[in-house]
Amino acid sequence: MNKATTVQPPSPLRAFWHKWRFHINVLLLLVPLGFMPKYFADAALFRGDSGLGEREVGEVQVGPWSLTLAELRNEAPRPDPAGPMKSFNAALCKECVKQVKATYLRIGKPRSLRAAGVIFFGTPYRMGAALPVPERTSPDAELWITMEGWDGSMQQASIPLSQASPATVAWLTQQGVKP
Amino acid sequence: MSKKSRSKLWFLVHSWLALPIWFFVLIVCVTGTLAVVSQEIVWLANPDIRADKPADDTELLSYDQIIKAMNRAEPDLIVTDLIRHDESHFALMARVTYPDGRAVTVYVNPYTGVIQGISPSFNFEQFTRALHGWWLVPFTNGYSWGWYLVSFLGLPMLASLVTGLVVYKRFWKGFFKPTLRFKHGARIFWGDFHRLSGIWSIWFIAVISITGTWFLIEATLSDNQITISTAPIVPVISRDKVPMSDPGVPAPMMPIDEAIRIATERIPGLETTFITLPSTAYSHLSIGGRGWYPLMFQTAEINPYNGEIASSHLLSDRSALEFVTESMRPLHTGDFGGLWIKLIWAFFGLLLSMMVLSGLLIWSKRTALATLHAFKRNNKAQRQAEHSQATPALQTETPEGIR
Repeated sequence: MNKATTVQPPSPLRAFWHKWRFHINVLLLLVPLGFMPKYFADAALFRGDSGLGEREVGEVQVGPWSLTLAELRNEAPRPDPAGPMKSFNAALCKECVKQVKATYLRIGKPRSLRAAGVIFFGTPYRMGAALPVPERTSPDAELWITMEGWDGSMQQASIPLSQASPATVAWLTQQGVKP
Repeated sequence: MSKKSRSKLWFLVHSWLALPIWFFVLIVCVTGTLAVVSQEIVWLANPDIRADKPADDTELLSYDQIIKAMNRAEPDLIVTDLIRHDESHFALMARVTYPDGRAVTVYVNPYTGVIQGISPSFNFEQFTRALHGWWLVPFTNGYSWGWYLVSFLGLPMLASLVTGLVVYKRFWKGFFKPTLRFKHGARIFWGDFHRLSGIWSIWFIAVISITGTWFLIEATLSDNQITISTAPIVPVISRDKVPMSDPGVPAPMMPIDEAIRIATERIPGLETTFITLPSTAYSHLSIGGRGWYPLMFQTAEINPYNGEIASSHLLSDRSALEFVTESMRPLHTGDFGGLWIKLIWAFFGLLLSMMVLSGLLIWSKRTALATLHAFKRNNKAQRQAEHSQATPALQTETPEGIR
């Protein structure tokens, strides 16, 4: 305690603190109240009650098979120690549930099955993949979907990244990458 | 500084530690208490989660039998995880995906394999944990700032414990002469209550504040990409080890019970109470359970096509440091030894909540008044006082001061 503060009339800052210090409690209580809608929206999202993801991209035909693709969140890639990551969810078509051994996602055309990109984890009804999106990615890049059959056969298809995730393209453009 | 004024300073620190945020601290303590017994609360409220035994001699079904029974009732359902509860009166929890894309937990009777119900969209257990653990602040990049906010409270709580013991002279005498005076007014009662519950809660406050502080350290380490884990990073199953098959015919996997039998044979002491089915064609079957040390889990990753053990993470693989750090969470939550430990944790959690409340009541009845008087006196006398705030606050009669 310093001498000046007790002898002289309290400074405005100190008076302010004295008047409002217990209101910190109120502010702190507003935090969970404010986040509650977000919490329940997220809980519904991960349960699948509100669909495959925040934004459904649509059905993509991949050779004889097809899948429904969705952005887990309608937003730019999230920072990660391994670089920016974008999460996609997918569901296989009813007929191909037993046909498809694995599904992969990659920006740019894969050279082989071994470099098909990130694999989708989960069940055919609801699976997810975290796609690395390098900051230098061109906004007009293509998102390639590779599907592998149990006999080792391979099917591929691509959609523009701008169709798969407008938020990612907006983020890339903002990063200053020229299309 | 004299011994006396030093102890007065300690007292003042103790009095003011949690104050501006007392209600926040109280809610964190109350939600933490609820979180400890959240499963039991759900058990009381929702019959779906109870495991009723059809007859006295009915035996538990194996993992394969359970999945088979579930698929008999719901042929299109895909099971991703099965978790047996530590306590036998709880149903088995199964994580499943439905063809419509819902990924939910269902409650399964461990004796019959009957799906008794789907977990409701409001998950009381997860909600109380999220509120207590990170104040509902979402995790977007690493740990949520709510996690830091709550876990930081471990430090003032530890400081409260230390300063409380310093100012409570010869506190150990309180064990032999418990004092709880009802007839001397609220101030005396709450003072007695605060001290009595305080000394009996020393161990609990120490456990909660140290483990709480560990959560702060854990988040800091993780957000700076520092790991102390000895857990192996398990690569996916290589292409040549996943059998090729005909188009449309998934490569056959071995029965789960058989995989568990092989793993248990090769790893003595491995007990399986939870399984995670492979999440891709190149992923392992993961099994695990508690070992001889009830606070930690042992796991093994098994190739589902041939039963080969790809890796295991056993108690014997853990470093001494990990025995300490991995014990922190169960010590905080009390979920390592069945119902009775949970009830002890919940009781002391309630007591701790009451200590926050009683501390506030004492403060409002004593310290606030004393501080107010001190300021008035000071302004009147215009005298210089080195410890102006500390001294008058303690000139009032306090049991801590006179003991």
